[in-house]
Amino acid sequence: MSIKCVSCGSCGFPMENPEDFALGDPSQPHCRYCTDSTGALLPYEAVLATNARHYVESQGVSPEAARNMAAALLASMPAWRNRPGVAAQ
Amino acid sequence: MTRTARKEQKEATHRRLVEIGIDFFAERGFANSNTADFAKAAEVSHGTVFLHFPTREALVLRVLDAFGDRLATALKIAMEGEARLEGVLRAHLGVLREYEPFYARLVQEGPLLPMKARSLLFILHASVSHRMNVVAQREAASGSLRRIPRHQLFNTWIALIHYYIANRDIFAPGDSVLDAKGEELVDCFLKLVRN
Repeated sequence: MSIKCVSCGSCGFPMENPEDFALGDPSQPHCRYCTDSTGALLPYEAVLATNARHYVESQGVSPEAARNMAAALLASMPAWRNRPGVAAQ
Repeated sequence: MTRTARKEQKEATHRRLVEIGIDFFAERGFANSNTADFAKAAEVSHGTVFLHFPTREALVLRVLDAFGDRLATALKIAMEGEARLEGVLRAHLGVLREYEPFYARLVQEGPLLPMKARSLLFILHASVSHRMNVVAQREAASGSLRRIPRHQLFNTWIALIHYYIANRDIFAPGDSVLDAKGEELVDCFLKLVRN
């Protein structure tokens, strides 16, 4: 596969079209799901909760396991990897 | 060599090691492979491997990250224009077919891998589940498809295809199981969910 698009620096969501990016602006480093109406990155807890909810709704994963998986995923993302208390598992 | 040239060379080596890592782990698996064998496969010294990846787990996770990025992008592109469930299922299998050897390792060894690796697989699933749900709701509204909760629709599909992928050496020895059985799996699943 030679096609490559950038991914959100917060959650890893692949961003291909302008509407995938914060503010619809392809120069933004984060996706529309991880940002508020001004394009600012949402707090870690909010992003964690959104990601955990994806696991629950999409696959029926238990809420606790979903939160653990979301935390493991976010731990390596540029936006969160240096956050105190966050360690890649 | 200038500092910039050295940096570029280091980054190029890193990228090359990640590329080789995808083929290496697809062939050897995660549990039964070590960095010494990886260094041989990559034709670099053991020290070079450790220069880029301080631990075996760091290597595995970096390769998984690269693989996840590619698969996520490929899935998004393949499924985006599909307006019917049948098309989404075929697009899903088409992408998995392209990465089948590595993906099969993830399916076979997933529960033994670090949580990060498992979360990666499940987040890839989330995007497929979302797309399946969008088109399935539309088809259910028109009466052509049974109304099935989103997670159950997806989990039934993924359970079916993962069973074949995990046992690909038995269902299609020496071949792609998705080439050999993909059509059959799509047909079977659609018979189960259609009205």
